[in-house]
Amino acid sequence: MDSWTLLLDGFATALQPQYLMWAFIGVFIGTAVGVLPGIGPAMTVALLLPLTYTLDATAAIITFAGIYYGGMYGGSTTSILLNTPGESASIVTAIEGNKMAKLGRGAAALATAAIGSFVAGTIATIGLTLLAPILADFAVSLGPADKLALIVVAFITVGALMGRSVSRGVLSLAIGLFIGLIGTDNLSGQQRYTLGMPVLGEGISVVLVAVGLFAVGETLYVAAKLRQGGVDVIPVTKGWRNWMTKDDWKRSWKPWLRGTAIGFPIGTIPAGGADVATFLSYAAERKLSKRKDEFGRGAIEGVAGPEAANNAAAAGVLVPLLTLGLPTTATAAIILFAFQSYGIQPGPQLFTNQPALVWALVASLYLGNLILIVLNLPLVGMWVKLLQIPRPYLYAGILMFAAFGAYAIRFSIADVVILLVIGVLGYFMRRYGIPVAPLVVGMILGPMGEAELRKALQLSQGDPSTLIMQPFAAAAYGVLVVLVLGALWLRRRQTRYEQHLTETIAVPITADQEV
Amino acid sequence: MSARLIGARGQAIGASGRAEETRPAPRVPVGELVFALLMLVLGALALIGAFSIHIPVGIQVGPTVFPIAVSVLLIATAAAVVVGVLRGDRGEPDDGEDIDSSARTDWLTLAKIVGALIAHLLLIEAIGWAPAAAVLFGIVAWTLGAKRWWLGFVIGLVVALAVQVVFGGLLGLSLPWGPAFAWLGGMF
Repeated sequence: MDSWTLLLDGFATALQPQYLMWAFIGVFIGTAVGVLPGIGPAMTVALLLPLTYTLDATAAIITFAGIYYGGMYGGSTTSILLNTPGESASIVTAIEGNKMAKLGRGAAALATAAIGSFVAGTIATIGLTLLAPILADFAVSLGPADKLALIVVAFITVGALMGRSVSRGVLSLAIGLFIGLIGTDNLSGQQRYTLGMPVLGEGISVVLVAVGLFAVGETLYVAAKLRQGGVDVIPVTKGWRNWMTKDDWKRSWKPWLRGTAIGFPIGTIPAGGADVATFLSYAAERKLSKRKDEFGRGAIEGVAGPEAANNAAAAGVLVPLLTLGLPTTATAAIILFAFQSYGIQPGPQLFTNQPALVWALVASLYLGNLILIVLNLPLVGMWVKLLQIPRPYLYAGILMFAAFGAYAIRFSIADVVILLVIGVLGYFMRRYGIPVAPLVVGMILGPMGEAELRKALQLSQGDPSTLIMQPFAAAAYGVLVVLVLGALWLRRRQTRYEQHLTETIAVPITADQEV
Repeated sequence: MSARLIGARGQAIGASGRAEETRPAPRVPVGELVFALLMLVLGALALIGAFSIHIPVGIQVGPTVFPIAVSVLLIATAAAVVVGVLRGDRGEPDDGEDIDSSARTDWLTLAKIVGALIAHLLLIEAIGWAPAAAVLFGIVAWTLGAKRWWLGFVIGLVVALAVQVVFGGLLGLSLPWGPAFAWLGGMF
């Protein structure tokens, strides 16, 4: 019960007016940026990194927790109300949510998404509170070889399972590992791949890579094929107080709970992030529903379940991030970097060394969830206005903030040049279907992996068998094989399922391009 | 109306489950192949570069071990992608809210945006951060089809000044003010 006392202390910190304000600002900005079309959670977090340059560690991390939850949720408003949904984690929401909005039930769709996210987020945060200390206790005993095994697990699952092609995913990972090598080697002080340029001596900042890939690369990609014509937002009517009817509640609460039960465990294991969870939840709801004929025509269960799964997975992702220092999504990798820039290394020691900070963070997750629902239900009119921002100004603004984030790292023009180069790389990766998330994960985890590898080999006097002979490491590699095989199987099912869906109900995205 | 279109579209959706491109894809995906080959070259250069890293004496596991492993991985995966592409396995381009996936790539727009970023980075130190950011914002907005070309520059300048006042003035990041706004910088 020790962790409950610590959690109460955390609440005492997080409820202090200035931290409460930062949590509020984080959720607000995270939602605002997340709602903007074309901006997914990873880009939200990357673009907002400069916000924290000037804050103290606790304030920065609380702000980031808010940005993370806000950004994760913001996408659902976009996919329900905009006729052209994009971001993968909420694309399932779009199938039913968009149809509901077109039938004039957009308010109910938004409400079930918001309340479902709150319920799921809260339950999943309780899960995090219970699970994280146990996992951290266990992880303290891990040696360098074991930690390396965990990092390899993250590499392979993220590389092989994000995107649709294993070779392209791992290629992206390898590029990220290479970028992570550039700079001065910490252990020996040798320059690597710096081409003798002092600018590269400190290495390439993760901010540049994240912002370059997500903001600049994405903007270039959109600009090359920008959809012309007006922005088509479905209007929402009725006051927010009577959004959901009694029947809507009755149909929503079970999907919320099931979505949570599916999302949280999937978030905690490195299985490709939230979109797998949303898909599984959608499939489950469709199977269990007594009104199967409504699916594809605006079934509320198809919004409630996947949205709950999405937010539960977002909380689940924080479990390996905080306890093992393992990011399993690009967004988590950028958050890991935000921690590192304050000299805080997430991982098993975090819970023993920085208990006040960790528990303040966990407490602010509970508060963030509450703020999220308070902001989203009544203020939806404002978010709708954001959807209508003319695209030329929207993307000009994204590029301006990207350039700001790059320049503000150390006020060097060279950083803006690197940003541009990485942006162009990101453009071509998108164009040729190479996922960008593994690159970010590889770049951030690569140096950590190298350090553990060298420590392990140093301890064993250069005998490489130590890497797989440790019981935990061996088990981790075993689990890895099972995970990859299982996930590849799941993905085949997902592809088939989506095909089936496209054939039976013809997703609105493709249909509307013709109109 | 739309229901009929969906039906018609439903038939156009191929076995891949995605709407087929309206424009026939070129038989050899040159760009994709070039990209993968470039990554292969990068891997090869990285491998050569790894051997030129100086190894200090008395270190069991030197600074070259990991670079060699990464180079090999880079070469292997790039080669796998090349082979895959040659055997007909094409990458699936990303989708997005604002993307018209049937449109042709507009290279001129891309060049203008890259040009705007280059102009921005060349101008920062000469005319100050906010004006240089306004140039970036204005060119990009104009390129992407803003209705009044000057409005982009005005909005850009207002937003950039707001950013510079908040981050530069109030939070203490030292963005250069430039000659035009030196008086504003003097107020903080």
